[in-house]
Amino acid sequence: MGVSALRTENLSKRYGRLLALDNLTLDVAAGEVFGFLGPNGAGKSTTIRLLLGLARPTSGRARIFDTDAADVAAAHRRLAYVPADVALWQRMTGAEVLDLLARIGPGTDTAYRDELIQRFALDVSKPAGTYSTGNRQKVALIAAFATRAPLLVLDEPTSGLDPLMELQFRQAVGVARDNGQTVFLSSHQLAEVEAVCDRVGILRAGQLVEVASVAQLRRLHHTEVAATFTGTPPDLTGVLGVDGLHEDGPAAVRFTLNGSPAAALRALADADVATIVVREQSLEEIFLAYYGQSPR
Amino acid sequence: MTATATPATRPQPAMRGLAVRQVRRGAVVVTAVCAGMSALVVVGYRADALDPAAVAALARNPAIRTLFGDPVALDQAGGFTVWRTGTVLAVVLGVWAMLAATRITRGEEDAGRWGLLLSGRVTLAEAVRHHLGVLAVVPVLVGAATAAAMIAAGAESTGSVLHGTGLAAVGLFFVAVGGVGAQLFSSRSAANGAAAAVLVVGLLMRMVGDGVPALAWLRWLSPFGLMALTRPFATGRGLPVVVLTCAALLLLALAGWLAARRDVGAGILATSDSRPARTALLGSVPAFAVRRTMRPLAAWSAGIGAYFLLLGLIARSMTEFLTGNPQFAAMAAQAGFPALGTVEGYAATMFTLLAVPVGVFVSVRLAATAADENARRLTLVLAAPVTRLRLLAAEATIAGCAALLLITLSGLAMWAGTAIVHAGLGAADALAGAWNVAPIMVLCLGAGVLALGWRPRTVAAVGALPAAGGFVWQVIADSVDAPAWVRALSPFAHLAAVPATAPAWRAAAVMAGIAAAGVVAGSIGYRRRDLCT
Ligand SMILES: Nc1ncnc2c1ncn2[C@@H]1O[C@H](COP(=O)(O)OP(=O)(O)O)[C@@H](O)[C@H]1O
Ligand SMILES: [Mg+2]
Repeated sequence: MGVSALRTENLSKRYGRLLALDNLTLDVAAGEVFGFLGPNGAGKSTTIRLLLGLARPTSGRARIFDTDAADVAAAHRRLAYVPADVALWQRMTGAEVLDLLARIGPGTDTAYRDELIQRFALDVSKPAGTYSTGNRQKVALIAAFATRAPLLVLDEPTSGLDPLMELQFRQAVGVARDNGQTVFLSSHQLAEVEAVCDRVGILRAGQLVEVASVAQLRRLHHTEVAATFTGTPPDLTGVLGVDGLHEDGPAAVRFTLNGSPAAALRALADADVATIVVREQSLEEIFLAYYGQSPR
Repeated sequence: MTATATPATRPQPAMRGLAVRQVRRGAVVVTAVCAGMSALVVVGYRADALDPAAVAALARNPAIRTLFGDPVALDQAGGFTVWRTGTVLAVVLGVWAMLAATRITRGEEDAGRWGLLLSGRVTLAEAVRHHLGVLAVVPVLVGAATAAAMIAAGAESTGSVLHGTGLAAVGLFFVAVGGVGAQLFSSRSAANGAAAAVLVVGLLMRMVGDGVPALAWLRWLSPFGLMALTRPFATGRGLPVVVLTCAALLLLALAGWLAARRDVGAGILATSDSRPARTALLGSVPAFAVRRTMRPLAAWSAGIGAYFLLLGLIARSMTEFLTGNPQFAAMAAQAGFPALGTVEGYAATMFTLLAVPVGVFVSVRLAATAADENARRLTLVLAAPVTRLRLLAAEATIAGCAALLLITLSGLAMWAGTAIVHAGLGAADALAGAWNVAPIMVLCLGAGVLALGWRPRTVAAVGALPAAGGFVWQVIADSVDAPAWVRALSPFAHLAAVPATAPAWRAAAVMAGIAAAGVVAGSIGYRRRDLCT
């Protein structure tokens, strides 16, 4: 296993009686694009605030590369951050904010920054007071991507962007990945996560319920199979991996496959199959299954 | 409609409830201060027979009139109380009213908390009207409580009611000024700045109008002047307070009208459009703190500088009057203004007043840091390799340095004023007198940092406490002849009358030590707590 860009050990955060984050242990490898998923209030932003040393953990530790997350002078030299809601000083123009962030930040590639300003179509000569939510988010995104910091921490960075800008965002993540940067992306947007992430972690009510690659997640989860038969359908009860068996009339069955399909396929092969439809559940359905288990 | 749907409640009462919750604590404090102080001065008034000729001389002296307002009805407890506390309380109430008005309207809007409120059936104009409407009740309560307290303390009732009405009208006026400012400007700080400018100009117009007979009409243009023109306990005129109330109501209506003509989050005065980047002072955290301090510092300097220039200009007239009328020198001493007979004594006394605005300035600057944190503007800065301590050190140091600059400028302004009238105050003496209040400013800085570390919402109030609270404490203690240990609780009791006497170094060192303890404790809290991000 290579270097960790970000590691938490039993990280917990309590707000009064609410346990916002419960024993999170997570390891994101350097160079990885990691999606951090969860419904509203799951504790994604809380985790990120702890990683950035903006909030203090109730227990546990967080490390950015090899430094303690609380040592921000060292840790923040290697990361850039885009908050969920970006607030700026009203009278400063976008260019001034970018200049400030570049000069106090971990170092900026100004040529790439200018390119990003073009790509995101941001008018940086306007005062921030005139910016929409999306434009403020663009300022933070441009500043973060332009740093080339080895770790980018993005908290729902595209919630205010239109589809065209969303595309630019995905491209910028791609460029970051090609540069070997690590991206920690908290998001609700499953299509976005599916498009850019190598691995995802799913957080529910402060607990990490799954960490897997997108492909693994699909494999781990049910595939829907519907088959019709020219003759009598085979008896699939008790066949390994078959769940939720359902007969649709005399010559059709529906079931979900869990795990290896080998046994089910063997059983089907013995019968006269007329048609068969195999459908993978969408990422959305997988997440809904997770979220639905016990909504907070 | 399904059976489980909650019936639609009218949103207005809920909104008013929200406004009440945001102002009630401050309202209680400001009511207690106004009513309590007035009653205490009434009770503490000693009806030593005053020589009518001397009172006439007092009333004619332009310096006295500039500083304290027209002295009328000093032979009555009520009249003396109005003269002694009227302007101070009007300023206290006015400042609170305008800050509260911008806080609960523009401040909430700025912080994005009105987004939800306005996504319902409530329009922006309604929200503004209801919030200002709730706030407008407070000055009325303050005026009523003040009048009631004075009557209960033994003052004559017609005068007390008129004085209370005047006070209420001033408060109402500044609710309206804050409300209009909040519509015109798209940020709370700009709205506060505009409202503060109205307050300072109003105060200066009252002073000049009282001091210079040819410009007496200026008082009709100033809320403080109008309040004074009612002359409670003397001729008792109602017209000025009617004028002031009408002006306030017109401004309140204007605020509602303007609110209907702008977008949520925007101001009537459009934020300036595209412009080239000004990249000066963006290179580091301290430089950025300087950048954010420059504009407020310039505004405060203009206001306080003008005030001390005026005080310098009347120095000679004042000292000559008091040397010629020893009875008033004694009376001024009783009112907390000893040693006004020499220009050094006069300067020392006036510079004591400087501690209040400078202390408030420092606490307001630290409160701006707290507001930047609360509005999440600091998040991006804190995500850079910037430790919290470095940020706090930069913000506190720049605030302190700016305050020292303000102190120096006030000293120079006073010196310039005295030089113009050849009052004979040395520049070094003037600067020494001004710098003499630095320990109280430092105390405010310590209190402000302490609050920023542990209770960031209270920075402005806690930070201003040593200066504003200490000043009010001393005035009250003096007025009621409180025991020495009660007086000693105010930092003002420990200021030497520099430049008339040598500085009280020991007391200054003690104050600096307390302030340092506050800074250390505050820094510990600031490092430990969760930042609002
Ligand atoms: N400063 C805070 N004080 C109290 N509760 C908080 C605070 N910040 C977050 N929470 C609570 O912690 C939980 C997790 O919030 P958050 O991390 O913002 O969720 P997410 O970003 O996943 O939507 C929520 O229930 C939220 O109400
Ligand atoms: Mg969040």
